[in-house]
Order: sequence, then structure tokens, then C-alpha cells
Amino acid sequence: MTANAREKILLYILIAIVLIVFMTPIYLIVVSSLKPSALMFSRPPTFIFTPTLQHYYDLFTMRPFHLQILNSLIVALGSTAFSLVVGSLAAYAISRIKSRWINDVSFWILSMRMFPPIAVVVPYYIIFKSIGLLDTPLALIIVYSTFNIPLTVWLMKGFFDEVPEALEEAAQVDGHGVIATFWYVTLPLTAPGLAVAAVFCFIFSWNEFLFALMLTGSKAQTVTIAVMSFWSSDAVQWGRIMAGSFVVLIPGVIFVLTCQRWLVKGLTMGSVKG
Amino acid sequence: MSSVTLRNVVKRYGQLEVVHGINLEIDEGAFVVLLGPSGCGKTTTLRMVAGLESISDGQLEIASRVVNDVAPKDRQIAMVFQNYALYPHMTVRQNMEFALKPQKLADGEVDRRITEASRILGLEPLLARKPAQLSGGQRQRVAMARAMVRTPKVFLFDEPLSNLDAKLRTQVRLEIAKLHKRLGTTVLYVTHDQIEAMTLADKIVIMKDGHIEQVGSPEEVFASPKNLFVATFIGSPSMNLFQMTVEQAELGLLLTSQPFSVPVPSPLLSKLSPGRQVTLGVRPSDIRIAAKGEPGSFEARVDVVEYLGIEALLNLRIGSQEFIAQVAAAERPVPDQDVSVFFNPAGLHFFDSQSGQAL
Amino acid sequence: MNHTVSRDRRIALVFLLPAVVILFVTTIYPMLYALWLSFRSYDLSKPFIPRVFVGVANYVEVLSSQAFLHALLTTFKLMAMTLSVQVVLGVGIALLVTQKLPGMAVVRTLLLIPMMISPVIVGLVWLFLYFPELGYLNYFLSLVGIGPVAWITSTGWALTAIAIADIWQWTPFFMMGTAAALQSLSPEPYEAARIDGNSRFDVFRYITLPQLKPVIISLLFLRAIDAFKIYDIIFVLTKGGPADATEVISLYIYRQSFTFWRMGVGAAASFVSLIIITILITFFFKSLQRSQAALAR
Repeated sequence: MTANAREKILLYILIAIVLIVFMTPIYLIVVSSLKPSALMFSRPPTFIFTPTLQHYYDLFTMRPFHLQILNSLIVALGSTAFSLVVGSLAAYAISRIKSRWINDVSFWILSMRMFPPIAVVVPYYIIFKSIGLLDTPLALIIVYSTFNIPLTVWLMKGFFDEVPEALEEAAQVDGHGVIATFWYVTLPLTAPGLAVAAVFCFIFSWNEFLFALMLTGSKAQTVTIAVMSFWSSDAVQWGRIMAGSFVVLIPGVIFVLTCQRWLVKGLTMGSVKG
Repeated sequence: MSSVTLRNVVKRYGQLEVVHGINLEIDEGAFVVLLGPSGCGKTTTLRMVAGLESISDGQLEIASRVVNDVAPKDRQIAMVFQNYALYPHMTVRQNMEFALKPQKLADGEVDRRITEASRILGLEPLLARKPAQLSGGQRQRVAMARAMVRTPKVFLFDEPLSNLDAKLRTQVRLEIAKLHKRLGTTVLYVTHDQIEAMTLADKIVIMKDGHIEQVGSPEEVFASPKNLFVATFIGSPSMNLFQMTVEQAELGLLLTSQPFSVPVPSPLLSKLSPGRQVTLGVRPSDIRIAAKGEPGSFEARVDVVEYLGIEALLNLRIGSQEFIAQVAAAERPVPDQDVSVFFNPAGLHFFDSQSGQAL
Repeated sequence: MNHTVSRDRRIALVFLLPAVVILFVTTIYPMLYALWLSFRSYDLSKPFIPRVFVGVANYVEVLSSQAFLHALLTTFKLMAMTLSVQVVLGVGIALLVTQKLPGMAVVRTLLLIPMMISPVIVGLVWLFLYFPELGYLNYFLSLVGIGPVAWITSTGWALTAIAIADIWQWTPFFMMGTAAALQSLSPEPYEAARIDGNSRFDVFRYITLPQLKPVIISLLFLRAIDAFKIYDIIFVLTKGGPADATEVISLYIYRQSFTFWRMGVGAAASFVSLIIITILITFFFKSLQRSQAALAR
């Protein structure tokens, strides 16, 4: 479609408005995290000021934010690794077995991701309490995996479907078993898929709030809970909240900037071709 | 000695039977081509030999051993796939190494075989490349090399040339023929292209709807097709067919249709009786233009002349019956006129109209 | 016995079984536990009272309680508000950013960022904007003579405030899905329409929109399923208040279970919501299968 100059200007104006609306909150997080507390709500807003790292400094000195980052990393990486192994194996089976029941199994697995977390939070709370897993990273790893495994299955199924079966048959004729074929032929060819699934699992776990809130106390607290807790302290520490928020949003932004073309597939569970 | 034997081999998918009791013996060192239109069961048959499809019924022997339930890797076969099935993430050398890995050979032996195969197929300069960096013909050669290094008892080819352009196809066809001559290994080769079958095969197996229609050397299937299907499938342009009726004449039996008739040759006299429906088949190359009034010739109308350089194809018509003749380009008539045509008596094929079987 | 079938079986056993077993233990078991719980009186505030079987009493209480029905209604109200705006805005922005103009790829990328931000952070940054007395949103509105609006402290505005935050985060979802679909449309019909001289609106109405429909329906279902579960943003912004103005299903269950410690009632409410979401998921799968069949054609 070609547009004449006037239309082009109009288009760019509209796009500028859209960008301002959608980018302002992100801009606020970044700027407020660097703003001295005194200028936080100044009227009119201060655009030019001497940035300070005080809020970031407070984050790590007045709070054990580094420990919470560590908790989040342990939980996110643990759940990602576990989900990737279990999920991609299942995805391979679903992609290769040609039976009617396999469809039912795959939809069952997908539906597991869609159930409301709040509906299972009570039983999780009671179960983990009774087996002493409350307030441990392991509890969150288990819970997040129930969401990450279905996601991995559905993403990886798409990638496995694209590996020609003739390649596996060739390996089979050459005398390689099912597992060797999977390991040497199929898996290397779906490495990009594994990377994408890993990132999705990581971001989901990193961003999660409800389960982290319910199932952790002080020991296994993750970053989202930590940032939220600055709010409930005696005085609202907006600078610290924004500094913490910035830390929390880094992985997601990196993901968008590096592998946005996979976002469509991952977020729509393959219902939209990217 | 027979290398591969199929006895009443059947393939069923649930209720659907797609291969109905194939019987076939493939001699040691033979080049056998399974030929037929798509959906005739030729690829399924090949995949059963490979072990990629299970055998529903019957028996498959490779090197005098029943292998129905033997895994593909233990059948001493190697296969070249339609899309080559090269591992895209491995180099040419790694592709071959990976094929040899299950055999657990000494490193020296692996190297020796790879060197030999790449020398024979001219792959030495390509060993470090990945499949994406190769042309179609080169990929084809790598696929063959990968099959070759395994030193199988039988090579299986599944439409290996169908992804190549016409020129390359001729070239690779020749390479396959040379390779077979050099190695002398039994080959079972699937194609839908009759030229590939004719040029490569010692023995052609023509299949249709899960049945074998005819087995024979290229000459046999071309010169004496067993039935109408084989007659029209082999040869290009295809054989002309005329519906005829047997009639009693003064000098013996005549085959007649509306505008013309042919005498029934003596070997068939005893088999035919008046009133019988017979299909007469004549290859375009067995029809020539005759002088006007030459005995045994007919008048036909020239509709279209297709000039092909050395020869020309004439689309002719007698009444409503259309047929094609292949003549030397120099002798071609101009369109929209009547010419006399003559059917070479040695090139006449007679089929029962009802059963389609040759008489 | 043949080996291709046994190969399938081996794949099923080695590859599929772990996932099925793990998901069964970690999902179905808690759900069954919740089901069991929903028939008991389980009051954590009185730990010495045994878990008594109370039949369907919890369900009766949930389904007849004003608060639950209100929560259900609020959930659907919020869903309607957010989805309708998101779909219109999302498709509109998608049409803008798929124009073949310089810089559009960058714009498309930037617009994806909100989706990847933790909902808690989204809640916090909007809280910053809405904050009574201090928030910048009212300041900017006052510059154009509007307000001040009591965004999160008035029962009239709180749900809208939440909707705006959700719309901000998830409009990009519709933008992304629609843009992907738009870019995969074949150019021929557009060229034909240009030659035939159809108006731009007609081209959109009769060529673009029908082709986008299956995609938009899939996106709507996915968002509807998520919107039904909305929790974090509300927890941060209003905690369900003021009064019960923003108490959606998730917050109702949360309050029953963790404020009043009535686990049985919370579990019964969870199960009712599970049934509702199952209906949504079933419809989504149907539409998914249909659109996949359409793609395969």
C-alpha cells in the first residue's frame, strides 16, 4: 500500500500517539528509579535532573534483594530445566505417534496450563505445608512446572512437526535406536525451539506472583514479592519500587528485543501462525 | 541366488488393504525397478522391504533369511530417500560417519570407506560442507555415498530423482547406472517415471492398485505388454487403442471397426470367434504414412502436426476415432488433409476388451 | 507383533509417560484434593475442629451468596470492558504498524514489551500513575481541564482503572496476533481490488476482516481464559476494593481462603470457576481445531 505525503504524516502522528501511550509507563519506571525521592511527584514533572543510583543502592543494602534475585533465578532456572526435559520428550511423542488418543492427551496437557491458579493454590498450600515444602524454592519449581511443561509441549510439538520424518527413518535404517535418533538427529534440529521454550518458561516463572505470594515466606521470597513488599512498608518507597521493578522487567525486555518473532507462537499457543 | 524375496506380502492400514499379496524374486546383483502411478503401492512395498512399514501378511526374505520382524538396521540394507534425508546439521563427512556409527567399526575402516565412497562419487572437495551448501545433484550424490559406506546387501531407492530438474535427472541417472555396474549390489528402485525404469532396470515390476501387473525386462514390457494397463503405461506417446469386433470374412477372420479393418494374424485364429470384442493396440512409432492405395493402408484425416525436430507427432482421425502417429519430421504432412496410413503388422497388439489381458 | 507399532509404544512409554505422570501428580491430584475439600468444613482459623463432611453445603453457600454472584458478574464485566477495547485498539494499531513505512518493525517490537512485564509491576506502575493526590495521571488530565478522578478510591472508577491497566498490558497481544496474520495474507486479492477500484473501507470490510476473523476469535478466547483468572493487577491496585467494587472470582476465592480461612468454601468456589473455565477452554479448542483445519486446507 502506498500512501501520499499527507497520509504518511497522519500515520506517523497516530503511531507517535500510540507509542507515547504504551511507552510512558515503561519510561516512568526507568526514570523514577533514577530520580531523587524529593522530585518523585513534582509539579510539573521534572524531566531534567541529576540521576541517582541511591534507590538501587538501598535495594541491596536495606533489603536482601540480591538473595531474592537468587531465589527467583533458582526457581526460574530450575523449573525451566525440568520443564524443558519433560516437556520436549512429551512433545516428541505427540508429534510422532499417529493415533487418535494422542490428540486427546495433547489437549489434556494444554488445558492444564489454562486452569486458574487460584483454584489450586489452596490444595498446594495445604499439601506443601504437610510435607514441609512451604517457603522453599522447590515448591515453586514444582508449581511453575505444571504451567511450563504444557507450554513447552505445545511449542516443541510445532518444532518437531517440522523435522522431516525421513531424516529419522534414515537414521533408523542406518541402525540407530529411537533414543539415539532423537538425541543426535531430531533434538539438534530443534535447538532454536528449545531456546524459545526455555525463555518463555523462564519469563513466566520470573514474573509469577500469586503462587510466590502464597507459598513462600521470608526464606524463598522471589523478586516480584520483594518489590511488592516495598509498598506495604510504613512509607511507600516509590524510588525503591521502581528500581526493583526495573530489575524485574529486564529479562522480559531482553526477550522481546532478541526473539520477538517467536512471541506470537508462544503466546497464542500456536493458534496464530507467526 | 535370490537376494530379496517377497511371498504374498500384504499391507493393510486398518480395514484398508493397499498392497494385495505381492510375489517377487530379486536376483543377487539385479537392478529391479518398481514402476507405477502414484498410489499404486510401490513406495509402501519398498518401505516394507526397508522395515519402515510393518508387513501385515506374507513373508519377506533378504539374503535367504526371513526378516518380517527384523528391525531395519539389522536387514543389511541402505536406503536413499526421495528428499535425500541428509542430516542438515551435520557435514557431508559427519553424515556418512553417523550412518556407520551403529556398526562400531574401527576408525581406520570408517575413514577408508568414506574416502572410497567420496572418491567414487566425486565428493572429496565437499566433505566439510553442510547439506544446505550443496546443489541438488550434490545432495543426491551424498545420499548415495551415505548408503554406500554401509556396504549393504541391498540398496533401496525411493524416487531419488524426483526433486531434480530434467537435465540433472539424466545426469544422475547415468551416475546411478554406473555405480550399480561398479558395485554390483542388488538395487530395488521405486519410480513413477518410465524413462528411469527403462534406462536403469534389468527387471521392471509394473504395479497398479496394489497388484503387480507385469514383471519383465524393459524389452519385454515394451514389446509384449501383458495387458492394456502396461501397454498404455509404457511408451511415450502412449499406445493407440481401437475397439474392434471379430467378423467372419471370405479369407478368414477380420477385426473391424467402423472405418477400417485388419486381418486376424494366424496365431490368434484359434482363440477368436466372430462377434468377440477385441482392443487393438498400435504404438505411434508402428504407424507410417503410406502411398495412396497401398494395400492394407487406410485413409485418415490429419488434425494437428506437432513438430519435434527429428520427428513429428501426427494427431490423426478416422471417423470419430483419434490416434497418434510418430513419423520422421521430413515426412510430415500438412494439417487438415487426408493421408494414407499403414499399421506395421508386427507392431499390432491384441487385447481382450473385457479383461484387458493380452491375447 | 510388528516393530513399527512397538516403536510407537516405546516412544509413548519413554517420552510421554514422564510428562503425563508428573502433570497428573502435580495438577490432577491438587484438583482432586480441592474437590474433596469442597465437601468439607475446613476452617484454618479453628485448627482443632476436625474436617467435617458437610455435603454440598459449601456449594450451596457459594452459589446462593450475593458476594459470589457479584464477583462472577464483576469478572465478566471486566472481561467485556477489556476485551472489547483491546480487540478494537489492537486491530487498529495492527493496521497502522503493518504499513510498509520505515521504522515500523521497531515500533512493532517496542509495542510488545508491555506483555512481557510481570503483572505485579504493571499494577505498581499504574498505581504510581493513579496514586491519590500525587499520581501524574490526574495532573495531566487537569492540564486539559478534566478531573480530578478518584481512580482507585471510588467504587465508580476502580473497575475502569483496572481495565485501563489491563488494556495497556494486553492490547499489544491483539496487535501482535493481528499483525502476524495481516502480514501472512496473500497480496493478490488486494492487487485485484486495487485494479477493480474498490474503496479502502470495502477492502478492509470484505477482504481483510473475513480473513482475520478466525485469528481474532482465537485471540479472544485466549484472552477471555486469562481475563477470567485475572488476579495480580487487582491485588496490587485495589485488593478487590473499595468495598467489593473490584472483587473478581480470584479475589473472592482468595478472601474466603486466606482472609476468612474458610478453605472448604474457597475450594467450592474454585470448582465452580473451574467448570466455567472448562467451558471457555472447550470452545477455544473447538475454534482452534477449526482454524487449524482451515490453515491445513
